[in-house]
Amino acid sequence: MKRLRDFFQKESCQSADIARERLKVMISQDRMQRNQPDFLPRLQSELVEVIRRYTQSEQDDIQISYHCLPQRSQIELNVSWPRNLP
Amino acid sequence: MARVVVVTSGKGGVGKTTSCASIGTALAMQGHRTVLIDFDVGLRNLDLVMGCERRVVYDLINVTTGEAKLSQALIKDKRLDGLFMLPASQTRDKDALTYEGVGEVIETLKEEFDFIICDSPAGIERGAVMAMYYADEAIVVTNPEVSSVRDSDRIIGLLDSKTRKAEEGESVRSHLLITRYDPERVEHADMMSVQDIEEILAIPVVGVIPESPAVLRASNQGVPVVHDSDSDAGQAYSDTVARFLGEELPMRFTELERKGLFSRMFGGRR
Ligand SMILES: Nc1ncnc2c1ncn2[C@@H]1O[C@H](COP(=O)(O)OP(=O)(O)OP(=O)(O)O)[C@@H](O)[C@H]1O
Ligand SMILES: [Mg+2]
Repeated sequence: MKRLRDFFQKESCQSADIARERLKVMISQDRMQRNQPDFLPRLQSELVEVIRRYTQSEQDDIQISYHCLPQRSQIELNVSWPRNLP
Repeated sequence: MARVVVVTSGKGGVGKTTSCASIGTALAMQGHRTVLIDFDVGLRNLDLVMGCERRVVYDLINVTTGEAKLSQALIKDKRLDGLFMLPASQTRDKDALTYEGVGEVIETLKEEFDFIICDSPAGIERGAVMAMYYADEAIVVTNPEVSSVRDSDRIIGLLDSKTRKAEEGESVRSHLLITRYDPERVEHADMMSVQDIEEILAIPVVGVIPESPAVLRASNQGVPVVHDSDSDAGQAYSDTVARFLGEELPMRFTELERKGLFSRMFGGRR
Protein backbone atom coordinates (compact mmCIF):
# COMPACT_ATOMS: atom_id res chain seq x y z
CA MET A 1 0.00 0.00 0.00
CA LYS A 2 2.70 2.44 1.05
CA ARG A 3 4.87 1.33 -1.88
CA LEU A 4 2.06 1.96 -4.27
CA ARG A 5 1.52 5.43 -2.93
CA ASP A 6 5.23 6.17 -2.96
CA PHE A 7 5.22 5.23 -6.60
CA PHE A 8 2.57 7.75 -7.45
CA GLN A 9 4.08 10.38 -5.20
CA LYS A 10 7.58 10.14 -6.67
CA GLU A 11 7.27 13.52 -8.32
CA SER A 12 5.80 15.44 -5.42
CA CYS A 13 8.52 16.16 -2.86
CA GLN A 14 8.52 14.16 0.34
CA SER A 15 8.86 17.12 2.64
CA ALA A 16 9.32 15.03 5.79
CA ASP A 17 12.43 13.45 4.25
CA ILE A 18 13.85 16.86 3.46
CA ALA A 19 13.11 18.01 7.01
CA ARG A 20 14.90 14.98 8.42
CA GLU A 21 18.01 15.51 6.30
CA ARG A 22 18.19 19.23 7.07
CA LEU A 23 17.85 18.50 10.75
CA LYS A 24 20.65 15.96 10.74
CA VAL A 25 23.06 18.52 9.25
CA MET A 26 21.94 21.33 11.57
CA ILE A 27 22.08 19.25 14.67
CA SER A 28 25.50 17.80 14.00
CA GLN A 29 26.83 21.36 13.57
CA ASP A 30 25.05 22.51 16.74
CA ARG A 31 26.50 19.63 18.70
CA MET A 32 30.01 20.34 17.47
CA GLN A 33 29.78 23.99 18.49
CA ARG A 34 28.25 23.10 21.81
CA ASN A 35 31.40 21.34 22.95
CA GLN A 36 33.76 24.07 21.89
CA PRO A 37 35.25 26.43 24.45
CA ASP A 38 34.01 30.00 24.18
CA PHE A 39 37.49 31.33 23.43
CA LEU A 40 37.95 29.18 20.33
CA PRO A 41 36.84 31.71 17.69
CA ARG A 42 39.20 34.32 19.14
CA LEU A 43 42.08 31.86 19.37
CA GLN A 44 41.49 30.88 15.78
CA SER A 45 41.54 34.39 14.43
CA GLU A 46 44.66 35.30 16.43
CA LEU A 47 46.46 32.18 15.21
CA VAL A 48 45.60 33.01 11.62
CA GLU A 49 46.85 36.54 12.10
CA VAL A 50 50.18 35.40 13.56
CA ILE A 51 50.76 32.76 10.91
CA ARG A 52 50.07 35.16 8.09
CA ARG A 53 52.56 37.58 9.53
CA TYR A 54 55.27 35.01 8.65
CA THR A 55 53.92 33.15 5.64
CA GLN A 56 52.08 34.08 2.50
CA SER A 57 49.27 31.72 3.39
CA GLU A 58 45.81 32.49 2.17
CA GLN A 59 42.94 32.12 4.58
CA ASP A 60 42.13 28.75 3.00
CA ASP A 61 45.70 27.51 3.56
CA ILE A 62 45.20 27.60 7.29
CA GLN A 63 42.96 24.95 8.73
CA ILE A 64 42.23 24.74 12.40
CA SER A 65 40.06 21.96 13.70
CA TYR A 66 38.93 21.30 17.21
CA HIS A 67 38.67 17.80 18.68
CA CYS A 68 37.09 16.78 21.92
CA LEU A 69 38.87 13.71 23.28
CA PRO A 70 37.71 11.86 26.37
CA GLN A 71 40.34 13.33 28.69
CA ARG A 72 41.49 16.43 26.86
CA SER A 73 40.76 18.88 24.10
CA GLN A 74 42.93 19.25 21.07
CA ILE A 75 43.31 21.62 18.18
CA GLU A 76 44.86 20.53 14.96
CA LEU A 77 46.60 23.12 12.87
CA ASN A 78 47.39 22.67 9.20
CA VAL A 79 49.23 25.42 7.43
CA SER A 80 50.63 25.59 3.95
CA TRP A 81 52.10 28.44 1.90
CA PRO A 82 53.53 28.94 -1.52
CA ARG A 83 57.26 28.25 -1.90
CA ASN A 84 59.39 30.84 -3.56
CA LEU A 85 61.22 28.81 -6.17
CA PRO A 86 64.71 30.13 -6.96
CA MET B 1 12.35 9.96 47.32
CA ALA B 2 10.75 12.95 45.63
CA ARG B 3 11.40 13.25 41.91
CA VAL B 4 11.93 16.68 40.40
CA VAL B 5 10.84 16.72 36.75
CA VAL B 6 11.21 19.62 34.32
CA VAL B 7 8.91 19.90 31.33
CA THR B 8 10.93 21.80 28.76
CA SER B 9 11.25 22.36 25.00
CA GLY B 10 13.30 25.29 23.81
CA LYS B 11 10.74 26.39 21.26
CA GLY B 12 7.62 28.14 22.52
CA GLY B 13 4.03 27.04 22.15
CA VAL B 14 4.72 23.36 21.65
CA GLY B 15 2.57 22.15 24.55
CA LYS B 16 4.70 22.29 27.73
CA THR B 17 2.02 23.84 29.92
CA THR B 18 -0.71 21.60 28.51
CA SER B 19 1.51 18.58 29.18
CA CYS B 20 2.49 19.71 32.66
CA ALA B 21 -1.15 20.09 33.68
CA SER B 22 -2.16 16.68 32.37
CA ILE B 23 0.91 14.82 33.58
CA GLY B 24 0.60 16.31 37.06
CA THR B 25 -3.11 15.53 37.14
CA ALA B 26 -2.58 11.93 36.03
CA LEU B 27 0.11 11.43 38.67
CA ALA B 28 -2.24 12.73 41.36
CA MET B 29 -5.03 10.49 40.04
CA GLN B 30 -2.74 7.56 40.74
CA GLY B 31 -2.29 8.74 44.32
CA HIS B 32 1.10 10.43 44.00
CA ARG B 33 1.39 13.69 45.89
CA THR B 34 2.26 16.14 43.16
CA VAL B 35 3.06 19.84 42.93
CA LEU B 36 3.33 21.85 39.72
CA ILE B 37 5.58 24.89 39.64
CA ASP B 38 5.07 27.53 36.96
CA PHE B 39 8.49 28.99 36.06
CA ASP B 40 7.14 31.15 33.26
CA VAL B 41 7.69 34.48 34.99
CA GLY B 42 5.66 37.23 33.38
CA LEU B 43 3.34 34.97 31.43
CA ARG B 44 1.70 32.74 34.03
CA ASN B 45 -0.29 30.17 32.11
CA LEU B 46 -0.40 27.02 34.14
CA ASP B 47 -3.04 28.34 36.55
CA LEU B 48 -5.30 29.02 33.55
CA VAL B 49 -4.91 25.52 32.17
CA MET B 50 -5.51 24.11 35.66
CA GLY B 51 -8.54 26.37 36.10
CA CYS B 52 -7.38 27.96 39.35
CA GLU B 53 -6.48 31.46 38.16
CA ARG B 54 -8.97 33.13 40.46
CA ARG B 55 -7.40 31.63 43.51
CA VAL B 56 -3.89 32.95 42.89
CA VAL B 57 -2.79 35.21 45.72
CA TYR B 58 0.94 34.69 46.11
CA ASP B 59 3.47 33.30 43.68
CA LEU B 60 6.86 31.61 43.49
CA ILE B 61 8.78 34.88 43.73
CA ASN B 62 6.83 35.97 46.83
CA VAL B 63 7.93 32.73 48.45
CA THR B 64 11.59 33.01 47.46
CA THR B 65 11.75 36.58 48.77
CA GLY B 66 10.01 35.65 52.00
CA GLU B 67 6.94 37.81 51.39
CA ALA B 68 4.73 34.76 51.66
CA LYS B 69 5.02 31.34 53.21
CA LEU B 70 5.04 28.34 50.91
CA SER B 71 1.80 27.13 52.47
CA GLN B 72 0.14 30.45 51.60
CA ALA B 73 1.21 30.33 47.97
CA LEU B 74 0.37 26.71 47.20
CA ILE B 75 -3.02 26.29 45.55
CA LYS B 76 -4.82 23.02 46.09
CA ASP B 77 -6.50 21.50 43.05
CA LYS B 78 -10.27 21.53 43.38
CA ARG B 79 -10.73 18.10 41.80
CA LEU B 80 -7.94 16.01 43.24
CA ASP B 81 -6.45 15.53 46.65
CA GLY B 82 -2.71 15.61 46.69
CA LEU B 83 -2.40 17.95 43.71
CA PHE B 84 -1.09 21.47 44.23
CA MET B 85 0.36 24.26 42.15
CA LEU B 86 2.70 27.13 42.73
CA PRO B 87 1.95 29.98 40.31
CA ALA B 88 4.47 32.17 38.49
CA SER B 89 4.68 35.86 39.10
CA GLN B 90 2.92 37.95 36.50
CA THR B 91 4.57 41.28 36.92
CA ARG B 92 8.08 41.15 38.30
CA ASP B 93 11.20 41.19 36.24
CA LYS B 94 12.55 37.85 35.15
CA ASP B 95 15.75 38.17 37.18
CA ALA B 96 13.82 38.19 40.44
CA LEU B 97 14.16 34.42 40.65
CA THR B 98 17.45 33.24 42.10
CA TYR B 99 19.00 29.79 42.10
CA GLU B 100 19.29 29.84 45.90
CA GLY B 101 15.66 30.88 46.34
CA VAL B 102 14.36 28.23 43.95
CA GLY B 103 16.64 25.62 45.51
CA GLU B 104 15.22 26.28 48.97
CA VAL B 105 11.62 26.05 47.75
CA ILE B 106 12.31 22.77 45.98
CA GLU B 107 14.10 21.31 49.01
CA THR B 108 11.08 22.13 51.17
CA LEU B 109 8.63 20.72 48.64
CA LYS B 110 10.63 17.49 48.47
CA GLU B 111 9.64 16.77 52.06
CA GLU B 112 5.94 16.92 51.21
CA PHE B 113 5.60 15.64 47.67
CA ASP B 114 6.41 12.61 45.52
CA PHE B 115 6.63 14.61 42.30
CA ILE B 116 7.66 18.19 41.69
CA ILE B 117 6.86 19.12 38.10
CA CYS B 118 8.45 22.30 36.74
CA ASP B 119 6.80 24.06 33.78
CA SER B 120 9.66 25.74 31.94
CA PRO B 121 9.37 28.96 29.98
CA ALA B 122 10.29 28.79 26.29
CA GLY B 123 13.79 29.64 25.13
CA ILE B 124 17.27 28.52 26.07
CA GLU B 125 18.08 31.46 28.32
CA ARG B 126 18.22 31.97 32.06
CA GLY B 127 14.55 31.23 32.73
CA ALA B 128 14.68 27.84 31.05
CA VAL B 129 17.98 26.98 32.72
CA MET B 130 16.54 27.99 36.10
CA ALA B 131 13.56 25.68 35.58
CA MET B 132 15.79 22.70 34.75
CA TYR B 133 18.62 23.34 37.21
CA TYR B 134 17.34 21.16 40.08
CA ALA B 135 15.72 18.48 37.91
CA ASP B 136 16.36 14.78 38.31
CA GLU B 137 14.43 14.04 35.15
CA ALA B 138 13.24 15.92 32.09
CA ILE B 139 10.31 15.59 29.75
CA VAL B 140 11.40 17.20 26.49
CA VAL B 141 8.31 18.32 24.56
CA THR B 142 8.72 18.39 20.79
CA ASN B 143 6.46 18.98 17.82
CA PRO B 144 7.20 17.13 14.57
CA GLU B 145 8.68 20.21 13.01
CA VAL B 146 12.24 21.24 12.10
CA SER B 147 12.61 24.21 14.45
CA SER B 148 11.06 22.42 17.39
CA VAL B 149 13.28 19.34 17.03
CA ARG B 150 16.38 21.49 16.67
CA ASP B 151 15.54 23.48 19.80
CA SER B 152 14.88 20.28 21.69
CA ASP B 153 18.37 19.13 20.83
CA ARG B 154 19.74 22.38 22.24
CA ILE B 155 17.72 21.85 25.40
CA ILE B 156 19.11 18.33 25.69
CA GLY B 157 22.57 19.92 25.44
CA LEU B 158 21.71 22.25 28.33
CA LEU B 159 20.34 19.38 30.39
CA ASP B 160 23.69 17.67 29.89
CA SER B 161 25.71 20.69 30.99
CA LYS B 162 23.81 23.33 32.93
CA THR B 163 21.98 21.32 35.59
CA ARG B 164 23.02 20.44 39.10
CA LYS B 165 23.07 16.78 38.11
CA ALA B 166 25.49 17.59 35.29
CA GLU B 167 27.69 19.60 37.65
CA GLU B 168 27.83 16.60 39.95
CA GLY B 169 28.87 14.37 37.05
CA GLU B 170 25.50 12.64 36.83
CA SER B 171 22.90 13.01 34.15
CA VAL B 172 19.29 14.13 34.03
CA ARG B 173 17.17 11.26 32.82
CA SER B 174 15.39 12.59 29.75
CA HIS B 175 12.18 11.46 28.08
CA LEU B 176 10.84 12.61 24.75
CA LEU B 177 7.18 13.64 24.50
CA ILE B 178 5.99 14.30 20.97
CA THR B 179 2.87 16.46 20.88
CA ARG B 180 0.52 17.72 18.16
CA TYR B 181 1.23 14.61 16.13
CA ASP B 182 -0.86 14.12 13.04
CA PRO B 183 -0.70 10.55 11.68
CA GLU B 184 -2.43 11.59 8.48
CA ARG B 185 0.26 14.10 7.62
CA VAL B 186 2.95 11.58 8.55
CA GLU B 187 1.32 9.10 6.21
CA HIS B 188 1.48 11.66 3.41
CA ALA B 189 5.16 12.27 4.22
CA ASP B 190 4.46 15.87 5.17
CA MET B 191 5.40 15.34 8.77
CA MET B 192 8.34 13.60 10.37
CA SER B 193 7.45 10.37 12.11
CA VAL B 194 7.99 9.36 15.74
CA GLN B 195 10.89 7.17 14.58
CA ASP B 196 12.53 10.03 12.67
CA ILE B 197 12.43 12.32 15.69
CA GLU B 198 13.52 9.67 18.16
CA GLU B 199 16.47 8.76 15.96
CA ILE B 200 17.61 12.37 15.64
CA LEU B 201 17.27 13.31 19.31
CA ALA B 202 18.41 9.95 20.65
CA ILE B 203 16.33 9.94 23.83
CA PRO B 204 13.53 7.44 24.47
CA VAL B 205 9.94 8.38 23.65
CA VAL B 206 7.65 8.39 26.67
CA GLY B 207 4.53 9.40 24.77
CA VAL B 208 2.94 10.73 21.61
CA ILE B 209 0.01 13.12 21.93
CA PRO B 210 -2.09 13.56 18.80
CA GLU B 211 -3.21 16.94 17.50
CA SER B 212 -6.66 17.08 19.01
CA PRO B 213 -9.57 19.50 19.38
CA ALA B 214 -10.04 18.12 22.89
CA VAL B 215 -6.97 20.08 24.03
CA LEU B 216 -8.47 23.47 23.20
CA ARG B 217 -11.83 22.41 24.64
CA ALA B 218 -10.11 21.45 27.87
CA SER B 219 -8.09 24.63 28.15
CA ASN B 220 -11.19 26.72 27.47
CA GLN B 221 -12.76 25.10 30.49
CA GLY B 222 -9.69 25.12 32.69
CA VAL B 223 -9.77 21.34 33.06
CA PRO B 224 -6.62 19.40 32.12
CA VAL B 225 -7.38 17.27 29.06
CA VAL B 226 -6.44 14.06 30.86
CA HIS B 227 -9.75 14.38 32.75
CA ASP B 228 -11.47 13.90 29.38
CA SER B 229 -10.94 10.17 29.36
CA ASP B 230 -12.96 9.72 26.16
CA SER B 231 -10.63 11.92 24.16
CA ASP B 232 -7.60 10.72 22.23
CA ALA B 233 -5.31 13.34 23.79
CA GLY B 234 -6.60 12.51 27.28
CA GLN B 235 -5.90 8.81 26.79
CA ALA B 236 -2.51 9.54 25.26
CA TYR B 237 -1.56 11.55 28.37
CA SER B 238 -2.65 8.75 30.72
CA ASP B 239 -0.57 6.30 28.69
CA THR B 240 2.37 8.70 28.86
CA VAL B 241 2.21 8.86 32.64
CA ALA B 242 1.86 5.09 32.93
CA ARG B 243 5.04 4.73 30.85
CA PHE B 244 6.73 7.44 32.87
CA LEU B 245 5.99 5.35 35.97
CA GLY B 246 7.58 2.31 34.37
CA GLU B 247 4.74 0.49 32.65
CA GLU B 248 5.30 -0.81 29.15
CA LEU B 249 2.52 0.21 26.81
CA PRO B 250 2.35 0.34 23.03
CA MET B 251 1.90 3.79 21.47
CA ARG B 252 -1.64 4.67 20.46
CA PHE B 253 -2.93 7.30 18.03
CA THR B 254 0.26 7.17 15.98
CA GLU B 255 -1.15 5.23 13.05
CA LEU B 256 -3.77 6.43 10.66
CA GLU B 257 -7.05 4.63 11.25
CA ARG B 258 -7.76 2.68 8.12
CA LYS B 259 -11.31 3.33 7.13
CA GLY B 260 -13.13 0.63 5.28
CA LEU B 261 -14.75 1.40 1.97
CA PHE B 262 -18.14 1.46 3.63
CA SER B 263 -17.31 4.08 6.22
CA ARG B 264 -15.39 6.06 3.63
CA MET B 265 -18.49 6.22 1.45
CA PHE B 266 -21.07 6.70 4.14
CA GLY B 267 -19.24 7.76 7.29
CA GLY B 268 -19.26 11.47 8.02
CA ARG B 269 -16.23 13.26 9.35
CA ARG B 270 -15.68 12.87 13.02
N1 LIG C 1 -2.15 17.98 21.28
C1 LIG C 1 -2.61 19.20 20.96
N2 LIG C 1 -3.60 19.34 20.05
C2 LIG C 1 -4.07 20.58 19.74
N3 LIG C 1 -3.63 21.72 20.30
C3 LIG C 1 -2.65 21.64 21.22
C4 LIG C 1 -2.08 20.39 21.60
N4 LIG C 1 -1.13 20.64 22.55
C5 LIG C 1 -1.12 21.96 22.72
N5 LIG C 1 -2.02 22.60 21.96
C6 LIG C 1 -2.29 24.04 21.88
O1 LIG C 1 -1.09 24.72 21.59
C7 LIG C 1 -1.03 25.96 22.26
C8 LIG C 1 0.25 26.05 23.08
O2 LIG C 1 0.20 25.09 24.11
P1 LIG C 1 0.93 25.34 25.51
O3 LIG C 1 0.55 26.64 26.10
O4 LIG C 1 0.74 24.12 26.32
O5 LIG C 1 2.44 25.41 24.99
P2 LIG C 1 3.72 25.88 25.79
O6 LIG C 1 4.84 25.07 25.26
O7 LIG C 1 3.49 25.83 27.24
O8 LIG C 1 3.84 27.39 25.33
P3 LIG C 1 4.84 28.50 25.93
O9 LIG C 1 6.18 28.21 25.32
O10 LIG C 1 4.27 29.78 25.46
O11 LIG C 1 4.84 28.33 27.42
C9 LIG C 1 -2.28 26.05 23.11
O12 LIG C 1 -3.22 26.83 22.43
C10 LIG C 1 -2.75 24.62 23.21
O13 LIG C 1 -4.14 24.55 23.35
MG1 LIG D 1 3.76 27.36 28.75
